[in-house]
Amino acid sequence: MKLSAQYTKASIIVTIIVLLFGGMVYFFAINKLGRNQLDKDLTEEITEVVDYINQNGKLPKQVDFDEDQTVFIKTNQADLPTRFFDTVYNDAKERENEAGRAVSALVKLNGQNYQVIITESRESTENLIQIIAIITVVLMVVLLFILFITNRFVFAGLWKPFYDTLSAMREFNLSDGSLTKLKTSKIDEFSELNQVVQSMSYRIKDDYQSLKDFTDNASHEMLTPLAVITAKLDTVIQNPALPVELFEQIDDIYVATNKLSRLNQTLLLLTKIENNLIEDKESIDLDVFIAEKLKQFQELILAKNITVVSSLYTKYVDASKFLLDILFNNLMSNAIRHNNEYGELIITLDKTNLIFQNRGSEIPLNLETVFERFKKGSKSDGTGLGLSLVENICRMYGWKIEYHFTASLHSFKITF
Amino acid sequence: MKLLIIEDEKGLRDNISSYLNGDGNICEQCGNLTTAIDKLAVYDYDCILLDIGLPDGEGFEVLNYLKAKMKNESVIIISAKNSLDDKVKGLEFGADDYLTKPFHLAELKARIVAVFRRKMGATNSKLIFNEIEIDLQAKTVLVNHSPVILTRKEYEMLLYFIANKGKVISRSAIAEHLWGDEMDMHNNFDFIYTHIKNLRKKLTDAKGVDYFKSLYGMGYRFEA
Repeated sequence: MKLSAQYTKASIIVTIIVLLFGGMVYFFAINKLGRNQLDKDLTEEITEVVDYINQNGKLPKQVDFDEDQTVFIKTNQADLPTRFFDTVYNDAKERENEAGRAVSALVKLNGQNYQVIITESRESTENLIQIIAIITVVLMVVLLFILFITNRFVFAGLWKPFYDTLSAMREFNLSDGSLTKLKTSKIDEFSELNQVVQSMSYRIKDDYQSLKDFTDNASHEMLTPLAVITAKLDTVIQNPALPVELFEQIDDIYVATNKLSRLNQTLLLLTKIENNLIEDKESIDLDVFIAEKLKQFQELILAKNITVVSSLYTKYVDASKFLLDILFNNLMSNAIRHNNEYGELIITLDKTNLIFQNRGSEIPLNLETVFERFKKGSKSDGTGLGLSLVENICRMYGWKIEYHFTASLHSFKITF
Repeated sequence: MKLLIIEDEKGLRDNISSYLNGDGNICEQCGNLTTAIDKLAVYDYDCILLDIGLPDGEGFEVLNYLKAKMKNESVIIISAKNSLDDKVKGLEFGADDYLTKPFHLAELKARIVAVFRRKMGATNSKLIFNEIEIDLQAKTVLVNHSPVILTRKEYEMLLYFIANKGKVISRSAIAEHLWGDEMDMHNNFDFIYTHIKNLRKKLTDAKGVDYFKSLYGMGYRFEA
């Protein structure tokens, strides 16, 4: 939900509640005031009636008292407290019943007790309340409308710097540079936000730079000792007195050192690809490229008596030759290394897809982790980075790579 | 051949020097840029092995110096920076070859020999080793004056062994030379055995001497 919508919702709810509550308070207050006024009038009337009786010694006639309706009822009760109550007022002229207010009291005439009830119309008060209600409702509608309009247009303008900052951040790319195009805002909060974002972008850039430097340095620092180990081994094996029993041990050290150095190189390469640092793109004829790769791997293919079935159509891609080399070295050597003796390697290339299929273990690879770093089959003696490298190269060029296992064939499919 | 090794890691420097010394080579070494420039100002060398990351600056400065002084030493860069940019930059600045650490000493020697041969140019396109005569331009081999047909791998291997004659070469080093890093042949030493067996047979069939000595499970030596 957008902030403006959220805010509009909240403000509308609050407005409605306040207006309803205010209307109610109004209603009760006016009602109470109106009643008090009526009761005061009625009390005066009673006094007038009593005065009249005392002066004239008889009960007054109806007409003597304006529009109020006065009724006298004989009663034997000696004591009757004066009380006010709501009742129905019968308007004789308009011939309708209206809400009314009445008072009942006890008067004495010639030793006879009478209960006098005076009823007055409450219509004027009712009208007042109705008007107030209408005003409240109209006010509510107008207020809501104004709120809505204000939120809609003023809010959009008010938050524009925020959305500008947001889109600048979205377009932020580490290799392009820092966030320099942030506009200054008149609003303190936004200009503060821009400052923070800006300084954060500088900090990220610094960190990124130091990470790159670190990677570079780590490469240097780790490869030099590896070079020393290799050089020492190369020197040690020159010694004619070297016992034969050590030959195998030394060979193992060679293999391990080599693996370590390849691991290091691959990690560096992965970092570089993930940071988009390799940009030497050229147009490459993929079918020619793959045919050459097949030739390069010929020995390995022959040694395992693998049948190669390749159907290659002309397909050009814009990519770095260096990275394509790595991509196909990995796919090809996997497809050969994990293949069966007298197995098959099927390579299919058309305009949209490139598929590598090979025989091998009957157990499919784990679909979820196949491209993850250091996730490799129990029998694999590779670095565990090959397929991760493949996936990263594909992702860099916007290609999709999938692994399937169908009909005893492991297949890697790249969709361009 | 007179060589100068510019490399800040002493252990590596010493081993390179001890491997290359002998066989008519003299190695000098230094560990920083200043000493390197001082030496270059006074002496001439046939070949310089140059590390890029030196304690007092980048090795590229040596290349600039050589260019400015119009000296024609061959330069092989030995660097831990396997970035394409550095490689391209180094070659543009006038280096003759680029070798990424870690490398095998046998590989380094083969590169030095190749660079040196290239420098000699067309005047010296024949390599003669006892009864073996190699035409480096036509890539043909004569043994006792009769032609021997070698595959590309066998030919490369023969050159590699002759460049490192008398030295033990590990199977790792041979694999890396023949197939490069990326093919990951390091668990497939059978191929090396097959190639060497075939090469041996072709040479001995032409009445050549069997120079290959096998050090079981570790490597081979080409006995001069």
